[in-house]
Amino acid sequence: MADLRVNFAGIQSPNPFWLASAPPTNSGYQVQRAFEAGWGGAVWKTLGEPILNVSSRFAGTHFNGQRVAGFNNIELITDRPLEENLKEIYETKKRFPNHAVIASLMVEPKQEKWHEIVKKVQAVGVDGFELNFGCPHGMAERGMGAASGQVPELVEKQTYWAKEAAEVPVIVKLTPNITDITATAYAAVQGGADAISMINTINSLAGVDIDSWKTIPNVAGKGAHGGYCGPAVKPIALNMVAECARHPELNVPISGIGGISNWQDTVEFMLMGAGCVQVCTAAMHHGFSIVEDMIDGLNNYLDGKGIAALDGLIGKSVHTYSDWGNLDLNYKVVARINNDVCINCNKCHIACEDTSHQCIDMLTAESGAAYLKVREEDCVGCNLCSIVCPVDGAIDMVEIPNGEPMTWNERQAAIKLPICHS
Amino acid sequence: MSSYKEFLAEKQKIDELYKSGYEITKVEENLSGAFLTFERSNLNGKSKVTQVKLQILTADARKYFSNLIMAKQKNLV
Repeated sequence: MADLRVNFAGIQSPNPFWLASAPPTNSGYQVQRAFEAGWGGAVWKTLGEPILNVSSRFAGTHFNGQRVAGFNNIELITDRPLEENLKEIYETKKRFPNHAVIASLMVEPKQEKWHEIVKKVQAVGVDGFELNFGCPHGMAERGMGAASGQVPELVEKQTYWAKEAAEVPVIVKLTPNITDITATAYAAVQGGADAISMINTINSLAGVDIDSWKTIPNVAGKGAHGGYCGPAVKPIALNMVAECARHPELNVPISGIGGISNWQDTVEFMLMGAGCVQVCTAAMHHGFSIVEDMIDGLNNYLDGKGIAALDGLIGKSVHTYSDWGNLDLNYKVVARINNDVCINCNKCHIACEDTSHQCIDMLTAESGAAYLKVREEDCVGCNLCSIVCPVDGAIDMVEIPNGEPMTWNERQAAIKLPICHS
Repeated sequence: MSSYKEFLAEKQKIDELYKSGYEITKVEENLSGAFLTFERSNLNGKSKVTQVKLQILTADARKYFSNLIMAKQKNLV
């Protein structure tokens, strides 16, 4: 069995699976149940001045029979008084001293406000703080959450104020509602952040009911933008984690958040630099017990790879992530159809003919049987046919030797040089 | 014509110029593709240089001549 223990920026946890700050971590009852189920840590639902919520807060995006491919919410931070939360945090930490309890915080961008809440929450023994600079709805209209998280100067300043009072590690949770997340990540590091976490939710409108013409969700007939999360956002989150992980000036641990639903997603985020992961939507969809499969799956995976501890996994794929200009223009793959597996549905032909490079021919054998064949010399290796193919193993993308590597950056430098006669 | 055949046609033009002793001395690229200037020194370099211009349209041929340039530059180093 691999060692799944985590030391994330000084925060100890029995495994890398933390519940993200969200409805599942609203109370001591929930967090303690989560720890009993196996979660290694929990980021308590954001503490701040207790808010008022609306009814009808969530919406799921279902796609082709897959429920909760995406999830939208317009719920705000905690609606309970600070003292009530602190009492439950204290009790939870007392009962689970080896689990990580991190308090998510959100206050107005004022030094005295950050000092006040950090000192009060710290007194009950949290293992760390996560500054919520990411919630895109409601609180942002009041100058908090994503509104301050989109301004690097405010991220730096507020991180600095929190750090002035904090005696435990401070994680800064970043909003994805920004063009370049490394800019705000850098600001957090400049402010003294011990770690960063990403992503918070993405601005979204889940849908419009085409019968009633009202938004989904609607509150007495009206809607407002919410925060989008769940499996649909995973690629966006993974890119942002990877961009921060490969940034030469961001040398702090990263907690990965965004659509992580199973141990495989966890491995991907860790390979791209996440030191631990946070989960919300999958737990809301399936319950706390999903962590059992996540722990078992990660353990088996590491054992299978001969990796003894998570250090052998974290960040190991970061060096493979680069700029487009560093990719090899000479690398070539082509599609090859395995006709003994192919069911002749023709989806690949249609996709290639209508929307790609017209290189899959529909042919007829001497026996009269229809079959599909790729004209490999015209195939650009776009992968589309293998993506739309409904049968595993029917289409392989095969590497074709194609000479020495040549990147776009190398090419541009080469063709600009004066070329002399030998 | 398939894009591969278009590429082969352009590759052949480039290869023929190379076989005739020409080398690419300038590359200009714009919305219409790549414009290559080929030059050849006559009589062991003692007389005037002959120049040929060639427009390259296909992406694969633009990769192809880039590889030739890079290979040449590597050999010169």
